[in-house]
Amino acid sequence: MNPFKLVLAFIRRRPLTWGFHALTLALGVAVLTAVLALNAGLSGRFERDLAGIDLVVGAKGSPLQLILSSVFQLDQPTGNIPLSTVQTLSQNMLVRRAVPLSLGDNVAGFRIVGTTPQYGEIYNARLIAGRWWTQPMEAVIGATAERRLKLRIGDVFVGDHGLAPGGEAHKDSPYRVVGLLAPTGAVIDRVVLTHTASVWKVHEHENQEHAALISAGKQLDPHDIDKSPGGRQITALLLTYRSTMGALMLPRYINAMPDLQSASPAVETAHLTTLLGTGADVFRAFGLGLLVLSALGFFVALYSAVSQRRRELALLRALGAHPSLLFALVALEGLALGLMGGAAGVALGRAAAAFAAEAAARGGGPSLPLPGFGAVDLLVIGGALALSLAASIAPGIVAYRTQPAAMLRSA
Amino acid sequence: MLAVEGLVAGYGGRPVARLARLEVAPGGAALLLGPSGSGKTTLLLAIAGLAEVMAGVARVDGVDVAALRPAARDRFRGRAIGLVFQDLHLIAGLSTLDNILLAPFAAGVTQDRARALTLLAELGLADRAHRPAETLSRGQAQRAAIARAMLLRPKLILADEPTASLDDEACTRVSDLLARAAEETGAALVIATHDLRLRSRFEVTVAVEPVA
Repeated sequence: MNPFKLVLAFIRRRPLTWGFHALTLALGVAVLTAVLALNAGLSGRFERDLAGIDLVVGAKGSPLQLILSSVFQLDQPTGNIPLSTVQTLSQNMLVRRAVPLSLGDNVAGFRIVGTTPQYGEIYNARLIAGRWWTQPMEAVIGATAERRLKLRIGDVFVGDHGLAPGGEAHKDSPYRVVGLLAPTGAVIDRVVLTHTASVWKVHEHENQEHAALISAGKQLDPHDIDKSPGGRQITALLLTYRSTMGALMLPRYINAMPDLQSASPAVETAHLTTLLGTGADVFRAFGLGLLVLSALGFFVALYSAVSQRRRELALLRALGAHPSLLFALVALEGLALGLMGGAAGVALGRAAAAFAAEAAARGGGPSLPLPGFGAVDLLVIGGALALSLAASIAPGIVAYRTQPAAMLRSA
Repeated sequence: MLAVEGLVAGYGGRPVARLARLEVAPGGAALLLGPSGSGKTTLLLAIAGLAEVMAGVARVDGVDVAALRPAARDRFRGRAIGLVFQDLHLIAGLSTLDNILLAPFAAGVTQDRARALTLLAELGLADRAHRPAETLSRGQAQRAAIARAMLLRPKLILADEPTASLDDEACTRVSDLLARAAEETGAALVIATHDLRLRSRFEVTVAVEPVA
């Protein structure tokens, strides 16, 4: 005979009541856990994608759009910038690394990014097969893209025009796979990398058409500015500073140049997190509200349970139990339910977060690296236990004050 | 053994019943007689330290229970007094054996499973030991409660209306069981009852006096 058996006997007698209360607690815990895990996944994602990029240079427009398009590979680019920018900036003594990006095509929704192998350096990407490209029309495939596209070394594929699937296929300019990348958890997993010159080569034909249009005196679609014959262009440039001096000098220097803007990924991401954070706050408040509600439910249920078993508590007193044992039994009952609800809630929340992350990744969004089970989850379970304990204090005091004589006399 | 002298018992400062004098030797038995509502239960609870002793004294094994501090009183009651109630016997959801072991659990002493099982077997409940308490018949539950009262070899066994609503045969069996329990454990036995059938079974009887 031990207190746990006794508490279990009490709980088993009202399985529906306790099941309901454990479930409400579990739901509150689940919402909190899911929000915390997704938030951590999102910031982890940002951190990995941003690591090593101090400043992004691109065409004038929304700085957030520039960051989204060139760092996270999510939005449309703001426009193009002259290739000469690369030369100017990479020779600047404040710049340690300048990686050019040229966007424009995709293969089955995965962006084809024209760049230099230094792009891989930003994310510490490692080849698991093959080599980096050395000439145009050679491609290295990110891990996720490789898994989805099922491309092998030596395979040949063509890109579609535009950044989403369904564009016109560039049938005349096939790429050849020369390398495959190991997974990094960063944005590089979801792109196909190639030589910057590949992008120009693919569009050369169109450029000639545009040139013909221009010479015929027709207007050029502003969105097709990248196809203008006026010199080589790229979409954006990812800069890494040599020292903190760069952070002070470079943005001003760049923003002063015509048609160029610089955007700090850290600043724009913080801005984005604030925008998204409102939603997360609402969910967190909702989860907390559910928790408080379930604690109230616990309180009412424990209270009525104590009044229902007054005679049994009196029996325990008659058998010699100190009143503190009765208090402990009620608290133990609260804690047992808190533990059940808390553990079930964390499991449920984790499953929901994993499902949401998977759904987002399948829908073409960024894949979220969810953190493993850790201190945060233990903290949430600890919070659920603390709430349950708090809810059992008043009923516990009622049990403590059980007057055995009053109950036994009427027996 | 039990020695009661001029005991007035009550609740919240209000006296309910009086017991002039009662002495029961170890292994002996006495009936506390009185009609329903006369305060028999209150007197038993006062002897066990669960109701107020407003005058007089009740000594169990030489100890004035009412004079003990509350925690010590609970401990003493758990170890030295076995209680059998009219119908509050077992806690549902626990096995019969665990219900027997509630006594040492509540009293905070070693749980002697072997003795509990032996007692259940002697009372014909061997096959019920591991069954849930709520599957027991009323008579079986009462026998289990008697086993629990005997388990810690108390100095005093107090039984409150143990034969109420039992037929003659069951009444005889229960009173025999209680008497034997007292003899075997060397406890003094007091049965509070209004059941006149028990008068032929027990020699010592004492009546509850109402308080004016």
